[in-house]
Order: sequence, then C-alpha cells, then structure tokens
Amino acid sequence: MPPELLHYRALGGVTGGPWRGVKAIARTGVLLLARRKFFWILYAFSLMIFLFYFFGQYLWVFLASHVQDALIRTGGVFGRLISPEALIKSLRDTMHLDGSAETFGDFIWTEGYIAVVILAFAGSVLVGNDFQHNSLPFYLSKPISRRHYIFGKCLAIAMLINCLTTIPAIGLFVEYGFIETWDYYYDNFGLFLGILAYGGAITISMSLLLLTTATWLRRTVPLVMVWTAIFVMARLVQRWLVDGIGLSPRWRLIDFWNDLYLFGMWCFGKDHRWLRPTNQEQPEYWEAAAAIVTVCLLCLLYLRRRVRAVEIIS
Amino acid sequence: MNAPSDPDEVVLEFEAVSKWYGPVIGLNQVSLKLQGGITGLVGSNGAGKSTLLRLATGQLKPSIGRVLVRGEDAWTWRAKALVGYCPDNDAFYEDMTGRDFVRAMARLCGFGAADANHRTEEVLARVTMTDRADRQLRGYSKGMRQRIKLAQALLNDPRLLVLDEPLSGIDPIGRQEMLELFRGLAAEGKCLLVSSHELEELEKLTDHVAILARGRIAALGTVSRIRDLLDDQPLSIRIDADDPRRLATMLLSRPDIVGVDFPTPQTLIVRARNPRRFFEDFNELATDETLRITRLEPLDDSTHAILGYLLGGSGKT
Repeated sequence: MPPELLHYRALGGVTGGPWRGVKAIARTGVLLLARRKFFWILYAFSLMIFLFYFFGQYLWVFLASHVQDALIRTGGVFGRLISPEALIKSLRDTMHLDGSAETFGDFIWTEGYIAVVILAFAGSVLVGNDFQHNSLPFYLSKPISRRHYIFGKCLAIAMLINCLTTIPAIGLFVEYGFIETWDYYYDNFGLFLGILAYGGAITISMSLLLLTTATWLRRTVPLVMVWTAIFVMARLVQRWLVDGIGLSPRWRLIDFWNDLYLFGMWCFGKDHRWLRPTNQEQPEYWEAAAAIVTVCLLCLLYLRRRVRAVEIIS
Repeated sequence: MNAPSDPDEVVLEFEAVSKWYGPVIGLNQVSLKLQGGITGLVGSNGAGKSTLLRLATGQLKPSIGRVLVRGEDAWTWRAKALVGYCPDNDAFYEDMTGRDFVRAMARLCGFGAADANHRTEEVLARVTMTDRADRQLRGYSKGMRQRIKLAQALLNDPRLLVLDEPLSGIDPIGRQEMLELFRGLAAEGKCLLVSSHELEELEKLTDHVAILARGRIAALGTVSRIRDLLDDQPLSIRIDADDPRRLATMLLSRPDIVGVDFPTPQTLIVRARNPRRFFEDFNELATDETLRITRLEPLDDSTHAILGYLLGGSGKT
C-alpha cells in the first residue's frame, strides 16, 4: 500500500525529555500489575484493614464522647459492672485507635505486610520479566538511560507501596482531625511528618530491595522464597536468637521489617521504652536506621553492577 | 521535532569503535559513515552485527572510539530520540494489546497522552495494523509481531532506523509490503540500517551493503563496487563445454587462473584472480578456438559469494 494512503506524516510535535519516560515506565508497570487478579484480592485485604482503622477511630471517638458515667453490665455467669472509661481505655491501649503514633505505626506495620506479599508476587511482573524475556532493548533504545529505567521501576514500586501504606495513613490522620478537633492537626503535625518519613523509608528501601532481588532472581517462585526468608524467617530467627538463647538485642537487626518499624517509631518520636511488645528488648533507633541504610547501599551497589552488566546479557 | 532530512548529511558515524565483552572482542576498530538510504548489514553468526546495532542505538557504550548520530553521542538520550530500533527478539508484555504496547512505547519516547494516542494511530496505520491492534500480543503471528515492532520504532519519526531481521517470519505478500515501506522511508531521506540473514531479500531492497567479519567491517559499498575491490580475489566460474579438459589446459596457461576443478565430465569450475581481465581473455579464447561452450556462469554473483570470499570460505549465513 502506498505510504501516502496510510495517513502517516512526519513528526511535527515535540517530545519531552527522559523524565517523561520515567513516568511512562512507572505507569506501564502499575498497569501491568493491575491486570492481575491476585493484586486486586490483596488490595481488597489492604482496604479492609484501612476500613477497620477508619471506622474504628470513628467508633472510639464516638464512644468516648457519648458514654460518660453509665456503668456497663458484661454478660455471662460471672457478669459484672465495669466502667465504660475503663473499657475505652482498654480498647485504646490494645488497638491504638486514638490517632496517636501507635495508630499510624501499627497501621503502616500491618499494611506493610500486605505490601510485602504484593511486591513478592509483583517483582517478576514489574522487573524480572524484562530481564527474563530480554525485553530491555525496547526500553533502552528509547530516549532514556539505564538510570531512568531504574527510576521508572522504583517509581512504580513506590506508587504501589504508598497506595497501601502512606496515603491511607495520611487519610487516617486527616479523618481523626475531622472527628476530633482542628487543633489535632496543629498539635500533632509531627505525626504527619512521621508518617511521611516512615512511608518514605519503606518506599525507598523496599523499592531498592525489590528491584535488586527481581533483577537477581527474575522469576516469581524464587523471589517469593527469598522474600519469605527476609521477612518471615529472619523474624523467627531473631526471636530465637534474642528471646530464646539470650543473645544481644542487636540480633533483631536481621529482621528488616522490624528495623523499618523501629525507624518509623523514631520518626513518630515514640519513646524507645514503650515499643510494642514491651517485654522485648530492641536495638537502638539509630542502629535500626543504620541497618536500613546499609541494606539500601548494598542494593545500590548490586544494581550498579547489574545494570552495567545489562549490556552483556541483553 | 526532527529536522528535515538532508540526504548528504552523515546520520550515523562510527569512529574507530571497538567493543570488548570482558576478554572477548565484539567489534574491532570499526569506522563507518552512513547517510540517507538503505544499507544492508550482513555477516556470519558472531561477526558482530548485534554489537554494531546495539552501539548504533545507544544500548551499548563503545570501549574505544565514538558512535555519533547526527553529531550526538549515540549513548545520550538526545541521540536516541533520533533513532528507531526494531530488535530481532519479540519479548513483549503478552497480555497487552498491540495498541497499548505501541502507546506505552510512545509515552516512553516522551510524548504526552494526546500526542501518544495520535502518533500510535499513525504508525499503526503505516504498518497496516490498525484493525488488528486491539488483540492481545500473545495471539499475534510472527509477522504481526514484526509489524508492531516496526510501528514502535517509527514512533519518534527517527532519522536513523535500525532494523534487526525485520523480514523474519513475514509472508511473501507482507514482505513485499514491508519492502515498499522501507523504500518509502528511504525515499523520505531516512537512513535505514537493515540487518538480515535473508540476503536475497536484502539485495531486493538495496545494493548498498556493509559486510562484517570477525568484528570488522570487511566491505562497505554497493555490491558491484565491492566486486571491483575483489579483483585480486579468486572468482569461481562454471563453464560447461564439450571438451572441458582441453579448455582447462588452455586456461591454465593464463596468468590469472589459479585453479580448475571438474565436478562432472562436462563441467569445469575455474578460479580466476582478476575477473574482468579473465572475461576479456575468455571472449578471445572462445572465438579463436574451436570450442563449444554451452554454459558460462559466475558462481558468486551475489552477496552470498562475496561473503564467501571475504570470510575465507566461512561466509555461510
């Protein structure tokens, strides 16, 4: 067919720079993941956790403002009257639905586990397949560099993590201010910054960790196994080492998720002595931060080597 | 926006480029200048074709030397914005539709959403895939995949179009359409560098070829020009005659004949060093002597044979 009949014309527009390509990589990655059912199933779990906190906070404030002096009779053979204030205090201390540092810390901690599972399964879709199926030439022949490719993939992972952790946590912060008083925002602005810092730490470290493990392992099953080792086995091992055979609490640093939690509590300004569970000795905050930085640096070093090698394997 | 095409402008330039993969050399001191038009790239497996293409598209950085696209270092994104690359492998995101894939590549080129959509439709129309672009890539035939790959290479209206085995897997009618398309792009002043193992197809497309051998450019130019350069290389000619042994005796007295062979009783294969002088002498011989010649056929009047010469007999592709 003659070209003139094919409605093709020479390009008359102006293309953006490589950073626009970064956005495109991230967008493509997220859309690829959004096509998978497992992602939506896990996302539904994450949403349930958010809704629990969302309505839990509302319920707690509602109870605290409406139940004043009346006594509540508990059921059962040994039923007895208890003070509602004691009940509310118990609920607050157990579930931390009071817009405090623990609320956001616990929320991000819990949501983070969903994020970890999603990322373990998403690693091969987002990154591994590019290496496995040798589709990097499509990316690297476009007006971007390897650095932009890594940024784009990290951005996709960051979008996922923040949709599950930081953004809902900010939503809870905003909600609590609405249902209590506006002063909450002014009095607890540090918590807002803490959410951003904790979310930022999770975003950066998990993005680098996923990119590193996905470029290393490429396929889903090995990736899930390694992530299980990092986030489940390491936790069991540190408990056995510290609580079981009485080694130094510094051994808890091998639990990367715990390191992130400690760092988050540091960002929230929480006193080290009141960390949950209170009967566990924990390493110092700065030690946890140093462990996170070390992991990030190791990941960057590996990625630097790996991406330089892309030209050989691609 | 890419500047209007100037056919005399050097689009791709290799300046004494070498590329090592650890201790292995992929490309060895290659110097090359390409302007508008179509250049075929041929060479045996391991000759360095893929390395050369990846250097040209900025996917590899040369160990020594420079690769320039219109004066820009090919490694930079500005140079890549002038280049379209159609790789030989077709590892796509299989659950994407063809349209989505091309659109994603358009965004990667730096187009905004509206421009990306517009440009996607234009290139899909150009490769005649508009009506099939909403199917998932996993359901595409090899030929359709080639068209989609070509479409994504055309997105940025590249000045240099690098095509790695673009005709592989395409049916004959489709091939003809693609060849027309390539000729049309070349007529617009674009520079096309086409790597192919389909040497006959490549010769239909262009007679300007670069021959790679063991990491070096063994020859660059038109097939006939390369042939001229081969005057000092033995040329094989098949001659069918009623008395080939007598003919061989007469030919062997000539200084340019380096050997003869008798594959069948009526056939003689002559290897001549200077082909043009040989044919002049042979005309005189055939008219002077009482010889009955029934067939005279150069056995290497194609790129295949040139490869054979240049690669020392290992030019099979």
